[in-house]
Amino acid sequence: MEHTKSNKKIVSRIFLYLVVIIICLITLYPYFVTICTALKSRAEIFSTSGTVFPIHAIWSNLIDVWSRAPMASYMRNSILIAGGSTLLAMLCGIPAAYALSRMKFKGQTAFLGFVIVSQMFAPVVLLIGIYKVMMSLHLTNSIVGLIFINAAFNQAFAIWLLRGTFMSISSEMEQAATIDGCNRIQALIKILLPVAAPGIVTALIFVFINAWNEYTVALTLISTDTFKPLTVGINIFNGYNMIEWQYLFAASLYAIVPVVILFVGIEKNLVGGLTSGGVKG
Amino acid sequence: MKKKFRGIEPYLWILPSVLLMAVFIVIPIGFVFRMSFSKISKAGLIKGFCGFDNFHKVLNSPVFSMVLKNTIVWTVAVVGLSTLLGFILAIILNNEFKGRKIARAVVVFPWATTLIVQASIWKFIIDTDYGTLNTLLMKLGIIDHAINWTPTAGAYFAWEIACGIFVTIPFVTFTVLSGLQSIDEGFYEAATVDGANYWQKMFQITIPLVRPSLTVSTVLNIIYVFNSFPIIWTITKGDPANRTDTLVTYLYKLAFYNGKQGDAAAVSVIGFLILFICASIYMVSVLKKGDD
Amino acid sequence: MKKVLTAGAAMAMVLSMASMGAMAEDTVDVNVIAAQYGQNTADWWAQFVEDFNADNPGINLNVEVVSWNDIYTVVNTRIANGEAPDVLNIDVFADYQADDLLLPIQDVVSEETYSKMYDAFLDQSEVDGTVWAIPDLASARALYYNKDILEAAGVEVPTTWDELTAACEAIKAYDDSIYPWGIDMTTDEGQAAFAYYTWNNGGGFVDDEGNWTLNSPENVEAIEYAISLVNAGYTNSDPANDTRYDLQDMFGAGKIAMVIAPNSLPTYIADGGNEVNYGVASIPSNTGESVSAGVMDRFMCFDNDYTDEEKAAITTFFDYFYDDARYTDWVAMEGFLPATKTGGEALAAADPDMASWIDILASCKFYPTAKAEWADVKQGVISAEQNALLGESVQEQLDNLQAEIAG
Repeated sequence: MEHTKSNKKIVSRIFLYLVVIIICLITLYPYFVTICTALKSRAEIFSTSGTVFPIHAIWSNLIDVWSRAPMASYMRNSILIAGGSTLLAMLCGIPAAYALSRMKFKGQTAFLGFVIVSQMFAPVVLLIGIYKVMMSLHLTNSIVGLIFINAAFNQAFAIWLLRGTFMSISSEMEQAATIDGCNRIQALIKILLPVAAPGIVTALIFVFINAWNEYTVALTLISTDTFKPLTVGINIFNGYNMIEWQYLFAASLYAIVPVVILFVGIEKNLVGGLTSGGVKG
Repeated sequence: MKKKFRGIEPYLWILPSVLLMAVFIVIPIGFVFRMSFSKISKAGLIKGFCGFDNFHKVLNSPVFSMVLKNTIVWTVAVVGLSTLLGFILAIILNNEFKGRKIARAVVVFPWATTLIVQASIWKFIIDTDYGTLNTLLMKLGIIDHAINWTPTAGAYFAWEIACGIFVTIPFVTFTVLSGLQSIDEGFYEAATVDGANYWQKMFQITIPLVRPSLTVSTVLNIIYVFNSFPIIWTITKGDPANRTDTLVTYLYKLAFYNGKQGDAAAVSVIGFLILFICASIYMVSVLKKGDD
Repeated sequence: MKKVLTAGAAMAMVLSMASMGAMAEDTVDVNVIAAQYGQNTADWWAQFVEDFNADNPGINLNVEVVSWNDIYTVVNTRIANGEAPDVLNIDVFADYQADDLLLPIQDVVSEETYSKMYDAFLDQSEVDGTVWAIPDLASARALYYNKDILEAAGVEVPTTWDELTAACEAIKAYDDSIYPWGIDMTTDEGQAAFAYYTWNNGGGFVDDEGNWTLNSPENVEAIEYAISLVNAGYTNSDPANDTRYDLQDMFGAGKIAMVIAPNSLPTYIADGGNEVNYGVASIPSNTGESVSAGVMDRFMCFDNDYTDEEKAAITTFFDYFYDDARYTDWVAMEGFLPATKTGGEALAAADPDMASWIDILASCKFYPTAKAEWADVKQGVISAEQNALLGESVQEQLDNLQAEIAG
């Protein structure tokens, strides 16, 4: 009896690993293609006798992109935009979510609905209006303008997710802290936020990635190379006469790196942030 | 004094968020509404009010119903399948196993890639003539000559949907994962003591407790997917003859290729109304269920 | 929290510094939006701006290079907000002219520079007797063929449609993994296919008086012929999605035997690292007289209520750009054809290949881009072609389009 149970456990373990490996392979396949293509010459990319691995890996492609385009500047702008948007989205979203989960006020439901409705137009549609707003604020061709836009477009997810997270956490500890002389802001920062880490991290990653990948608004707002983020900047490889796949793909490989680093860095917060703190049943 | 502050306090807490959205989203939305009722020249200048003319033109266009149908198929397929697959993936990744950290990082990849680049890669993979999928399968000896993976417009659309699912799964997975984290282990222990099996625990504990976070993320997902632009634009631009267009790619062409910004604004208002009605019905029914 | 706040403050400072940009003092600004033709365009303009600003201390030139994929989005968004650039480099001008947004180009271009242009090109930018734009460059199309494949298949270079059909059949019989003929009917440039076939069948977009004739019998016959090539399996497998880049790359890889392509094709193939034994010939015609298609891009000047000083600065910009040495460098950079007589002479003298292309250019037909309906016609013929590929009747498609455009 004991024996079969542990056998069964081993089989399910192997099965689990198998599934995970297959999922990883499928997920990574496009990136495998990206890497191989980034190392090929254009002749090899389109050759009749297709190759999986590059015959002559042109490693210099990976280095050349940095000189073919001001990649370092694009990268810095992207980090500023995504980082700034995340910060601003959190600074506005956390208080709103806190109010929605801990206070009762008139217009609460209306506000929640409004947040969702605000998402219902694609940014592509709003371009002309966004440009108009930015013009009157003198924020065209500026990184600050993009930070505001990205923060605004990500409010909905941040607020709804954080509200859900806060509501699942009992308010007893905050109440106890208030009795001990904490004000609301202190209670929020000292008691609630640490416990709500998984939700906050999820919202953080979400906003960061969305801002990192934003394209259309940056395209129309930014008019000088100095302020272009990566997404818009690497378009330089996408010309009228030719598309330079090898550089486009090499550049986009670099674009993934910061996001993955950020993710790995804060991933542990996704797990087990809730060991302390009372959970509402 | 203190009582008065109590009354306005919640509004102070939501004020930054309200301001942010009002200035950068609501004003541009107002502008779209104005454009949809305006006569607009090809270069984009507003030439006066024209009532429902733009709506009439759009609704009478023969391609509109096809584009609308495509949009619905696209949204339902991408959201439905990615929610299902993303949920399963989250359950798998919630297990304790060696290399879980790596597996989770890998799953973030499709999300961390700009959609335009992601779609370009897919276009590259499935191409009949130089696509890497054909090359790979031929090298592995599975097929002996290049297969045309996209013989019809429907096949193209199916690939686009697959690409959409691929990039949407991480979003669902991490929403569910963060929900799973907040489930108290005690529930499972109690259920095990009561003799519940895996599936009973799944349907009686996991799904009901994850549902609140899944509800909101699904509503937002529907909106994002409905309005998604880069995948279809990069792979087919809606070709051939609008067969793979959704409302957003269609209106983009109207606005920036045909110089019909009034029509484009009308299409986006129609899209908005559809989303608004669907989301309202969904939210009301879900919230009602929650109250019971 | 304190940490967060300091980080926020630091970031805000960096950003406010970043957003200030260059502050002009006593200089006149000239803002240009230019289309990105290729990999070298941005660098070329950057060098141009540096030289220009050094040579003209009173002027602050700013050139924004935008890729073709996005240029309409960028430009139309700006114009809708009253933020038009001073000078725009793009392919079409009629929509802007129709809204009275442009200045007659002779208001801002010096007589000397203006007189350099080929007259035939200037005619393409004329509406109501006024010229609204000047050409910055041109390209012409011709038939490229893979000499090795044609020889191995035992066929001559086709000059008529019957010969073309026969050649396709022979190549297909020789090796059915090769596509004998390349066709691009995509949203990207499907209007070019319409031009290649209708112009070489005595049809076209407009008649001699400039009236739309989209559903003429010649046009219907021409498009039906093109579709028949696709249906017979003589072409690339997916004409509605294979863009000119795909076709050029497949030609370079020896996968397509014949394709109609611009004069820059050899540069394109060589840059990609391919070697093809190719020849150039006239586009096959059904009437006995081959018509080549010319494509021309333009500079136009928006009417932003200029002071005399600003106008003079724009004139200086154009004089500087069309300076013969600089202009030939511009044209040669991406392998285009010149739009000025002096540039043409200089390039023809330097390169005999170029001389024959400049001859072809002289006999080219151009798209009717000066007509206000052009944008609709362009999308309309592409849609008609794609519907025909899906099996709809060409006649019906073009009848509908003609009715929609001409009323």
